[in-house]
Amino acid sequence: MAVLRSTTIRRPLPQRRFVRPVIGWAGVLVVALGWQLLAVALNTSIFPTFITTMQAVGTVLSGPALSQDVLPSVERALAGFAISAVLGVVVGLALGYYRRLGDYCATLVDFLRSLPTPLFVPLAIVLLGLGSQMVVAIVVSAAVWPVLLNAFDAARRVEPLHLDTARALGLRGVALFRRVLFPATLPSIVAGLRIALSTSLAVLIIAEILGASSGLGYFIQDAQQTFEVPETYAGVVILAALGWLFDTLFLAAEHRWLRWDQATAGGNRV
Amino acid sequence: MTMTRPTTSSPPTGTPPRAVPVRRRARGRLRRFRGLVGVVVAFAIWALVSRTGLVSANDLPTIPAVAQAFGTSWSPILAGLGTTVEGLFLGLAIAAVAGAVLGVLVGLSLWADAATDILVRMMRPMPSLALIPIAILVAGLGTEMTAGLVAFAAFWPVFINTRYAANSVDPRYVDTARSLGFSQWELVRRVVLPSVAPGFGTGLRISAGVAIVATISVELVAGTGGLGGFVLSAEQGGATAQLYAGLIVGGVLGWLLNLVLSTLTRRLMPWQAAVEKRGEN
Repeated sequence: MAVLRSTTIRRPLPQRRFVRPVIGWAGVLVVALGWQLLAVALNTSIFPTFITTMQAVGTVLSGPALSQDVLPSVERALAGFAISAVLGVVVGLALGYYRRLGDYCATLVDFLRSLPTPLFVPLAIVLLGLGSQMVVAIVVSAAVWPVLLNAFDAARRVEPLHLDTARALGLRGVALFRRVLFPATLPSIVAGLRIALSTSLAVLIIAEILGASSGLGYFIQDAQQTFEVPETYAGVVILAALGWLFDTLFLAAEHRWLRWDQATAGGNRV
Repeated sequence: MTMTRPTTSSPPTGTPPRAVPVRRRARGRLRRFRGLVGVVVAFAIWALVSRTGLVSANDLPTIPAVAQAFGTSWSPILAGLGTTVEGLFLGLAIAAVAGAVLGVLVGLSLWADAATDILVRMMRPMPSLALIPIAILVAGLGTEMTAGLVAFAAFWPVFINTRYAANSVDPRYVDTARSLGFSQWELVRRVVLPSVAPGFGTGLRISAGVAIVATISVELVAGTGGLGGFVLSAEQGGATAQLYAGLIVGGVLGWLLNLVLSTLTRRLMPWQAAVEKRGEN
């Protein structure tokens, strides 16, 4: 990442290793403090303080909701994510590699991915009924696109020389995909996977709110309708924490297994 | 089709453009219509599957049935579409302005950038849709609630991409501009903003998708009408043909929005053509 060295436009950060995270956490702290102060100042029942919310988070996580709602949600999100990953990579690479096939399907793919996911929920309920299966299907319908499109784009931009060399050496079919196309497109695929992971969680919630009798989405909705205000906020905080945890784990894994990729090895904090 | 994460672009490796023979160009124009093949095949499969009764008519109505649904309920569909578009654009506009301004301000300061770093990483994967119950709690069921929630959800892609772009303005441009005697304001207006604009465009396009999802989610959960409301009532009334009609209208809306935004970005920011080209197919 380019950094402006000119000091007149930007004041530089001290060149120490831990400065950035420390300032980063200070930013989080300021927001938490702002929340607390605002809630105390407003003093309404619909906006609990930061501390009350954190206490509710503790109660929720130590109660039965952990195994009834939090874990099923994690399971569904990961299942949907896994299916999306496999489906997106296979279909995306195939459409990108076979150019003509990709051209034929481009408009269709463009239309399908433009379908707003939540509109699928009523349809999925008609087709699959209420429950886990429906939720996972909704997750896949949203999370497959970033993977598929990134794989597609990257497969089209693979250096033709590499493909020609591989073909000249007698690689074809699955071996060509596995040993040339897949490694060449992996950085893009991983970028897509990261987006898919956060998409999974976001869409999961809407599906659970509308058509499940368990899960975090259900929990949040239920808490709101029974006016358990701190619990409602706690559900959202847990969800945000889950999103952050997923993302952090993903980045760690990426850093560990994809170190050979220049773009990954550089700044990747966005 | 777009890359959703700003990546460093590799230098073009291809040969310089040569004069293209006329016949090849004509074929290139034909290639644009190849996309229709997939659409036609999809319709054919739909017709075949619904005719043969492989899937029950309740799950997958026939094409004429859906066409008829369009005919009988075009007025509620249009009304719903209007409501949806209103909330969508209001929220998206707020998100675009706030995201652009804050993104440039934060991206230009290394301190602000560091201070918001972890916060942004927490908020980025945050499923804004989970806030719908809270938004209902706080703001009731009006348009303000929809627009506010849509704005919140759509803010992040604009903000993150703009911040990133502002953070990675090429220092050589800045130095050049400064040695040419640009004032601070001129520097921002003539160097920083043009460099940031493509990132903003990318962010806005992602945001548009997010905004549609958020708008319709609110409509489904809060029952505030719109396209989501139409589809929901079709589901509850067992009118599957109406449901499919609403779904198609939603797809066209999303597709059009994406088309308009990507054309606009290309027209308004020709200097980004090289980067854009990569995402095209």
